[in-house]
Amino acid sequence: MQNSKKPRTNIWPYLLVAPALLVVLCVVFVPVCNAILMSMQNYDLRKPSQIGFIGLGNYIKAFQDELFWSSLWRTILWVVFGVGFQFILGFILALLLNKSFKGRGLARAVSLVPWVTPGVLIGLMWRWMYDGNYGVINDLLQKLHLISEPIPFLAQPETSFFSVILTIVWQGVPFFALMLMAGLQGIWLDLYEAADIDGASWWQKLTRITIPSLKNTIFVTTLLRIIWVANSVDVIFNMTGGGPAYSTQTLSVYVYNRATALDLGYASAISIVLTLLLCLVSVPYLKQMLKKN
Amino acid sequence: MKKFKKITAACLTACMMATSLAACGQSGATGSTAGSAAGSQGTTAEETTITYWYWADNDDYAKTMEEMVADFNATNGKGITVVAEQQPWDGGGYSTNLLNAAIGGGGPDVASFKLTATPSFVANNLLANLDPYLETWEDKTDIADNLWNIMKEASGTESVYVMPWNTQILYVYYRPSMFEAPGIEVPTTYEEFLNACKELTVDTDGDGKIDQYGFSMRGASGGQEPWGSFIYAAGGSFEDLTSEGSVKGMQDFIDLYTNGYVPETAPNDGFQETIETNFKSGKCAMVIHHTGSYKGMVETFGDDVAAFQFPAGEGRWTSMGDTENVMLETCENKEAAFEWMKYLATGKGQETWCTVTGNVPVSTRVQQMDEFQNNVFMKASIEGIDFAGILPILDTTSDWISNIWPSTVQQALLGQITAEEAMQTLQTGLWGE
Repeated sequence: MQNSKKPRTNIWPYLLVAPALLVVLCVVFVPVCNAILMSMQNYDLRKPSQIGFIGLGNYIKAFQDELFWSSLWRTILWVVFGVGFQFILGFILALLLNKSFKGRGLARAVSLVPWVTPGVLIGLMWRWMYDGNYGVINDLLQKLHLISEPIPFLAQPETSFFSVILTIVWQGVPFFALMLMAGLQGIWLDLYEAADIDGASWWQKLTRITIPSLKNTIFVTTLLRIIWVANSVDVIFNMTGGGPAYSTQTLSVYVYNRATALDLGYASAISIVLTLLLCLVSVPYLKQMLKKN
Repeated sequence: MKKFKKITAACLTACMMATSLAACGQSGATGSTAGSAAGSQGTTAEETTITYWYWADNDDYAKTMEEMVADFNATNGKGITVVAEQQPWDGGGYSTNLLNAAIGGGGPDVASFKLTATPSFVANNLLANLDPYLETWEDKTDIADNLWNIMKEASGTESVYVMPWNTQILYVYYRPSMFEAPGIEVPTTYEEFLNACKELTVDTDGDGKIDQYGFSMRGASGGQEPWGSFIYAAGGSFEDLTSEGSVKGMQDFIDLYTNGYVPETAPNDGFQETIETNFKSGKCAMVIHHTGSYKGMVETFGDDVAAFQFPAGEGRWTSMGDTENVMLETCENKEAAFEWMKYLATGKGQETWCTVTGNVPVSTRVQQMDEFQNNVFMKASIEGIDFAGILPILDTTSDWISNIWPSTVQQALLGQITAEEAMQTLQTGLWGE
């Protein structure tokens, strides 16, 4: 005999999630909608009498703006090199810290310092380290006889962007190391033992066991860092403000500069474009994850 | 369930990416509260609390403000309690923070202010009109008429929205010992000044490397003030930045950098670098700043620091930095707020603040005090009063100062654009198409 009763819908999960969703709606989606609306307005607080709907005007202005394109290109480099090196160095650090050695606990704690240091402090700290007159980096390079005269790292377009990328790499390495180390500890040791018995080399174990086992962790951490680094303003702003001569201005910094100039409509439009670009990067990732699930 | 998972995952990803948008959206219509206690708390005449925002260039100034607030709270006799909150100057970002806070309803009752921010505040009806209070104020004449006129001009109306507090007139600090060694006189003309920059750039220890520069140049935000002196001395003006004289002034500025008479770091150098790292370290012979830094200079160099006004060329101009106070329209106890503003403008607050900071008082009574009459740096400031000026106050000025000027001048210094192109950009940025 079949049970004709429909299964009862349990509303408790929905009720429990509702407060969190409500908060997200209020603090994220309302401002997002506000930004979208603002991006379609001539919303310049310096000229409040001229605020009004202009449709896609701000977007058209952005696509005709040389600074927008140069900032976009720099954002791509910023993310590719910033996140790329963070991942590589973070992976190496995770492998090292996953080994047993004396003082490992201390080494793990110390390696987290860059990640727990506020971005503003990191920016100011590195700015002085790079200082062309009294910076410790110039001092070290001179003492090592690698350079004969101090290099004004942040005052030259040729060196300033590389310098801020190095700083963001330093900041983000511990995040990758921490996440990947957690992933490494979840890999069954039996797999390595079996590989050892089969005579697998270090490289084979890395590429056949470690990396495939960390695939999901790598996927999530990389996605998060791409989004965070692309949106990052604090480090660049405190080190160079986007200068000299726009040489370190990414899209996020451009948005910040336009917003603080009170041109909120244009700043919102650039934000929307940046978000859409991040979506373009994230969707394939997301698809891959859902496919896996 | 699978579908639910997909939706949840999609929502979470969207949330993460939306964070950047949220920040922008929030700073718009709703503004930022910037951590301030909102508005007045007291409602009775006996117990009134006034919130006050100000910035301080160093800890001593902040301590002085705390002492002034304590003094006012103890002596005003009207039950007024001022709660002062120090805010970062942030290279001029203070004005934007104040604007956002005021629009969002979270601003203070009274705030320190810069005239250049006036158009944005007046256009958004954020400032209280001070005319009714000034009409009955017996000490109004203690402040010179020309200052009141400047306050009116800044608002673009016949009303006063901004209360004068103090001024900072820029002049050149120099190291007499560095001038004496090669026998260079204090420059009396613009050409002599440019030549001094060259002559004072030397390799002092004979190792083949320059270790003393003639001038400490500020290429980052804030540098437009000393830069303006070059433009006027070369025959230009802010009114026409593309004129022959203006372009020449820009070219002179660029030449100082490209010829190596200023530190290589100049394009990114701000206040800390020009004053502390370059000048106070003994690396540069001259720097342009105001009296706000003279005490630190004297502490560092003793008698080996002096001052002269930027010399005349085709024209002459020096920047008159200004600091005022405003009452926000949302202030609920305007009478009490005005009492605090009076204390700062002509009362004991004026005397204390200007004595400690070395800024030029706006009160003629305080100007006559020995402290200000017998000070070499104050004298240099006072000498500049006749030709001191401010940037044109337009709705573009804040953006021009914070973004357009530093970026454009950096490009010019680094050889990415010519002096003519730079001045065209600056002209368009300031005056529009």
